[in-house]
Amino acid sequence: MAGASAPTRAAVDEAPGIELVARRRLLISPVDAFFRLQPGDHALVKEGEAVGRGQPILEHFREPRTLVVPGASGEGDQLIPGDRAAPLGSRGREGQHLDGELLFRSGGRWRIAGGERPEPLESPVAGVVHEVRAGTGVTIRSTANAILGQTALAGPSWGKLQVATGPDGELRAQHVDVGMAGSIIVAGARMDAEALTRARAVGIRGVVVAALGIKEQRDFLASERRGRAAVHGLPPFGILVLDGASRRPIASPLMALLEAIEGGMVAILGDPPALVIDDPSILLPSPPPDLVRVRSGPLAGAEGTWAGLAGPRRFPAGVTLEAAFVRFGGRPPVAIPFGDLERFA
Amino acid sequence: MAAPAGAPIGALASTLAARLISTDPRMAVELSVSAESIGDLPRLEAVSSPPQTLAVLGASRRAVGLLEGVAARTPWRIRTASPETHDPREMTELALRPEVAAILVGAGDPPGPDERGWLDDLAGLVGAATRRRPELRVVLAGPVAARPAWAEGAGRPFDGSQERIVEGPPLGMRSGPDEPLREILEGLLTSRDSRHTAVRALLSLADTIDRTVELIDVGLDGGLRAMASPGIADQGPAAVAVRTAQAALVPRDIDEDDVEAVLAWTTGSLDRHRMGDRLMDLRAAPWADVSGEGARLRLAATRAALARLDALSPDIAGMPSPDVTIVSGGAFMIAPARATALAVADTIRRPGTTQLAADHARLLGPIGTIDDPDERRDLVADLADDLLAPIGSLVIVANVPTGRRQAARVGQISLDGDVQGRHDLVSGEVAFIDLAPGDQALATFEFRDAVRVGHRARRVAMPVSGGVAGLAIDLRDVPLRLPERRDRRRAALAAWGELAWPGDER
Repeated sequence: MAGASAPTRAAVDEAPGIELVARRRLLISPVDAFFRLQPGDHALVKEGEAVGRGQPILEHFREPRTLVVPGASGEGDQLIPGDRAAPLGSRGREGQHLDGELLFRSGGRWRIAGGERPEPLESPVAGVVHEVRAGTGVTIRSTANAILGQTALAGPSWGKLQVATGPDGELRAQHVDVGMAGSIIVAGARMDAEALTRARAVGIRGVVVAALGIKEQRDFLASERRGRAAVHGLPPFGILVLDGASRRPIASPLMALLEAIEGGMVAILGDPPALVIDDPSILLPSPPPDLVRVRSGPLAGAEGTWAGLAGPRRFPAGVTLEAAFVRFGGRPPVAIPFGDLERFA
Repeated sequence: MAAPAGAPIGALASTLAARLISTDPRMAVELSVSAESIGDLPRLEAVSSPPQTLAVLGASRRAVGLLEGVAARTPWRIRTASPETHDPREMTELALRPEVAAILVGAGDPPGPDERGWLDDLAGLVGAATRRRPELRVVLAGPVAARPAWAEGAGRPFDGSQERIVEGPPLGMRSGPDEPLREILEGLLTSRDSRHTAVRALLSLADTIDRTVELIDVGLDGGLRAMASPGIADQGPAAVAVRTAQAALVPRDIDEDDVEAVLAWTTGSLDRHRMGDRLMDLRAAPWADVSGEGARLRLAATRAALARLDALSPDIAGMPSPDVTIVSGGAFMIAPARATALAVADTIRRPGTTQLAADHARLLGPIGTIDDPDERRDLVADLADDLLAPIGSLVIVANVPTGRRQAARVGQISLDGDVQGRHDLVSGEVAFIDLAPGDQALATFEFRDAVRVGHRARRVAMPVSGGVAGLAIDLRDVPLRLPERRDRRRAALAAWGELAWPGDER
């Protein structure tokens, strides 16, 4: 195994002042993947249990409801909120499911969170169950490396990683090919709602994209809700947004990581928003310590090398900001506001 | 000197020390600052914390509304539910969410007719939540725990022995002072938060300079508005403060209303989706994109936040204009002084005059971490000249007579000793008159008809102080009425903005 190594202190010392630039952590390990349990959902694993990728870890009701059941004499005193109301699959006299979760008792009646049409959720990563809290969630700890994103929508999901376009590309609906089915694709700088809908329709399991606008996010989540409510539900699909909402290319250190793991199995997590790299044997590249990226402003997306502190400078709109010199290619250094820069570790 | 959150404080201090040593070695020696002494320098640290989530539960929609009104004036992020809007499963789900740190549940004493049907269920639900989450804190505003269902849910009757469950005053049928409940809710949070400690520093400042001082702070995760008055006779200084998560520069969950609120203050051509994208990016990286168009966007978001803060602090808004108004928070720190003054004038519409200043080095929060009030006062007195950066004086005039023609002259102002003589005042305009930092002058206003500047008069004389923005005179409506039509509103904002933003760099 060879994970990416953080820049050494000596490397930082070679570029004095660079430590004041916001540091973006590329990889985390271990990862505590959290999966939400709604009241009534049923955890299928226990704390300390090892789970594999694809193993069902919880079951939730697609049509949740609250049942009111008289607390049986004597028995009611032994049950406490959070307990299962009855063994899995139990039904009442009228055929209703009773295998829900006890919410609370009031006036001698239990409120039970149950429902119809249970649906399993499979673990997207291999790991060990760290915590199970009824009505709250299941946490699985994985020792794999994970690339942190900014937000994740839907998910979790897993599949082979496929780089569909370059870091500055924009994947259009007509370019979403059925040949990508089953994979998680790297979709470049941005993706529109139509392309996302098509990606899901052709069986793609997830998308990694630099930016996703607020409209696309809302459209996708609305589509997700409709799909989840439909008779057959939806296959797993997740979107990992690496940077934000406004269009920008994927940072080169991130792209290098994604290219290094292309073809390997990865998983998109919702909490934390991350892309888990399944194979520990892949050699992950680490960025040069003096690499800085402009994350916003007129030069957003540009990458260069650190050329030292520039002190307070006046920028458009009469704003005076702390700045740093950055050298783009062979050109003379340019003063960029500190806040617009990021470095990688 | 400032750097984005996460920058090591030691590196920041070293850079600052290196600049001091290279520019003024003698001062560095006097202050005992050297490259080796950075670690030994005394430090005061204050951190503004992200808001924690409070689940507000009531037995009826009305009860939840009353509780929400109180909780909105605290630093908590609020999520509400009542049996009229959520079923028991959804309410339990809310109470069990990992991000929910506390529950506020309330009822009238005696319960209102709309509460009686659901109160037992609510008591059982919250009692069960305390049993399932031993770390959960609960504020009981009313006789919720006295219901038999509480013991059924919690597994034990409420006896007041659990510190995490606090009793508060019951819901009143009529609105009354909300301080007792707010104090309980704020008491659940850390007292080291910079918006908490800044109020203590404000008290010391008001006492030191013997002036009423208002502090307006807009940060990424919340806002603060506080008014402090100096001590009188044997009474110490007093302050009224409202801290609220709803006055965050950009709300965590941006909805259509948030986008519209910012768009209402912009002059550009961004549509709602693009503005939403910009706000999401601003939320994710508040220190980025702060020049050019980014600076204008940030100040538009600041105005929207100030409007929310003003709406949530009617008790402070109703007070007379303070002698000094301090603006604080990253939202203000980068903007040109006149743009900051205009943003305050746009949203805090209180007739009168006040001296505007900026907590430019963000010192109020750290100073407030000093527990000893005498030590704090001494430090404030010691730093008095450097603590605040003067922006200028802001005069808001209400009841300005409207001329038949646009741009009608309604009066004039003269400053004693002003070589430029008198300045005409035009209805509906904002005027900036140069007055250098440190300069003091007596401004005399003469209007054709009586106006309101604190009090009603035709001729008013008042002392004003200079600043980077000079003297700002606002003759617009109080409250400000912007044109309904978007193009006219943008034209009006652009015209005022031209006075505040140097050059046309858009």
